[in-house]
Amino acid sequence: MFIARFLARRLLQGALIVFLVSAVIFTLLRVVPGDPVRLMAGGMAPEALIEQIAEEMGLRDPIYQQFGRYVWGIVQGDLGQSFVRPASGAAVGGASFDDNTRSERAEVWDLIAQTAPMTVQLALLSMLFALIIAVPIGVWGGLRPGRFPDKLALYLSSIFVSLPNFWLGIVLALLLSVKLKLLPAIGYGGFAYTILPAIVLAIEIAPFIIRTLTVSVAGVMRENFIDIAAVRGLTRNQIIFRHALRNSSVPLLNLLGVQFSMLLGGVLVIEFIFDYPGLGLLTINAVMQRDFPLIQGIAIVTAAAFVLINIVVDLCATAIDPRLEY
Amino acid sequence: MSIQDMTSDLPVPRKDRKIAARIWSEAYAAIEFKIGLAVFSALVLAAIFYPMFSGIDPTKMAISSKLLPPLFMGEGWSWARPLGTDQLGRDMLSRSLVGLRYSLLIGISTTILMVAVGAMVGLFSGYFGGKVDTILMRLTDAQLAIPMIILAITILGVSRPTIPAIILVLGLSGWPIYARVMRSSVMSVRKKEFVRGAMVLGATDWRIMFTLILPLVLPPIAFVAVLDIARMMIFESVLGFLGLGVQPPTPTFGNIIADGRKYLLNAWWIATMPGVFLVLTLTSINLMGSSLERARNSIYGGA
Repeated sequence: MFIARFLARRLLQGALIVFLVSAVIFTLLRVVPGDPVRLMAGGMAPEALIEQIAEEMGLRDPIYQQFGRYVWGIVQGDLGQSFVRPASGAAVGGASFDDNTRSERAEVWDLIAQTAPMTVQLALLSMLFALIIAVPIGVWGGLRPGRFPDKLALYLSSIFVSLPNFWLGIVLALLLSVKLKLLPAIGYGGFAYTILPAIVLAIEIAPFIIRTLTVSVAGVMRENFIDIAAVRGLTRNQIIFRHALRNSSVPLLNLLGVQFSMLLGGVLVIEFIFDYPGLGLLTINAVMQRDFPLIQGIAIVTAAAFVLINIVVDLCATAIDPRLEY
Repeated sequence: MSIQDMTSDLPVPRKDRKIAARIWSEAYAAIEFKIGLAVFSALVLAAIFYPMFSGIDPTKMAISSKLLPPLFMGEGWSWARPLGTDQLGRDMLSRSLVGLRYSLLIGISTTILMVAVGAMVGLFSGYFGGKVDTILMRLTDAQLAIPMIILAITILGVSRPTIPAIILVLGLSGWPIYARVMRSSVMSVRKKEFVRGAMVLGATDWRIMFTLILPLVLPPIAFVAVLDIARMMIFESVLGFLGLGVQPPTPTFGNIIADGRKYLLNAWWIATMPGVFLVLTLTSINLMGSSLERARNSIYGGA
């Protein structure tokens, strides 16, 4: 019963947030300069034709009317159609103005559904790598506050957090892919193509995990129950794994919820560098092509993902630590 | 544990020293802070003076000396071009240092804007409570859910990215965290005796907020904001890399690296060398920032 009430409340709040996000993005896209029809029809298209297309697509109606239509579509599960991408897949923007009848354009929902799994694969693999890098460093640092391991954690996380993802991506591609020929880097042709982007993303995430772990493990180790556990005859390893790690996993989960947007930014840039066909690359292309429906669709889907992930995080946190209440 | 510790998480500062001075001196005691400060100062001085005194124009092209490698790296290097030249013969060292100027300018002003907006929202929210608080905090939540990177590249992608536009867009992306932290500090200070005393004496809300509460709660937050300067500098370079930052011919880390990517196979230094500068600067800022953060945490107790 508690779970049901919790879920109902959070989902309702989440729906409100997603609605606000879509309203903001929708309005912004129509207020900032840059006419998408000009881009769709091409630079050579006559002004009258542009006006005609814009009129037909309803782009000259007041913003609230356009938004109303859009929201009505979403409620029915329709995110609209891309401005520039034909359903066949190839993205061509603004070459000519007399083809591309509206019915042939790709559905925004399909575009997102096709690319999202690739991004999820990348995100999960990089999360795994990040944990492999960060957990040993972070826990060790937390067990010896103020000593060498703690300093090491501080230095390493300061360096990791200072490596811009796009630069690191280029350097690693140059070293591992071009010079040593260990891993493929550009495009996608199988699972191996996910590894290098995932390493770069992992290094971007790792410092936050290291810092959170160092602080929370150090905090837990000061608690009375740790001393008592030693008296109860638990070995040091048992204490670390049963008490310290378990208690530190809650802040770690919260971190995942809070840093979601940072992860998203990282994905965007990394997919762009490695030409990895995921949601991030789709987003950048959508922005470059002023593909309003696609940008809106992506923003709504990511905001919804943010809301859902935070709900799941809170549920998991209560499962791990029953003292927490939401 | 004294009564004071039990009733609050914010100790009243000792009378003889300001809270800011205490955080600063505690951080300064750490070796990593001094290393960071030394490296950072050296880089800033170089960025200010090298392009000025070397007399090398970072935008001047010299096709005859294009694609020269850095010192000791292959054919044709020279002391006059310590980091080599790019595909148009422009000097990489002075380009990197001019890029550093823009990076610092945008990083610092963005952070100031971010802290200012967040602090104001948090101050009003925490001080007045009630409806004001509810509205401001819902606004903050919504802002946190907006994928800011998408918003930023959308706005800068469709309008011409000028320096003020970049600062504004980045600055408006990071304030919610400051609003939250500020709000909780203000709420705990607000219950203190000296604030209630001021209210009884008839001080206006305005006066209490800005002369009593703000000077007490802002410094610890502002010090930790140093870390965000580095974050915003990365953000700026990402925008530049995507072609949405300060536009060429002005050199920025982002656009130099994006350019150099095309020549990666025959001139690796164009894309990698400016990054080394950026990484050194960011590491030095992060070392200082985390020392300040640790100092603050140790003074306030807890994380």
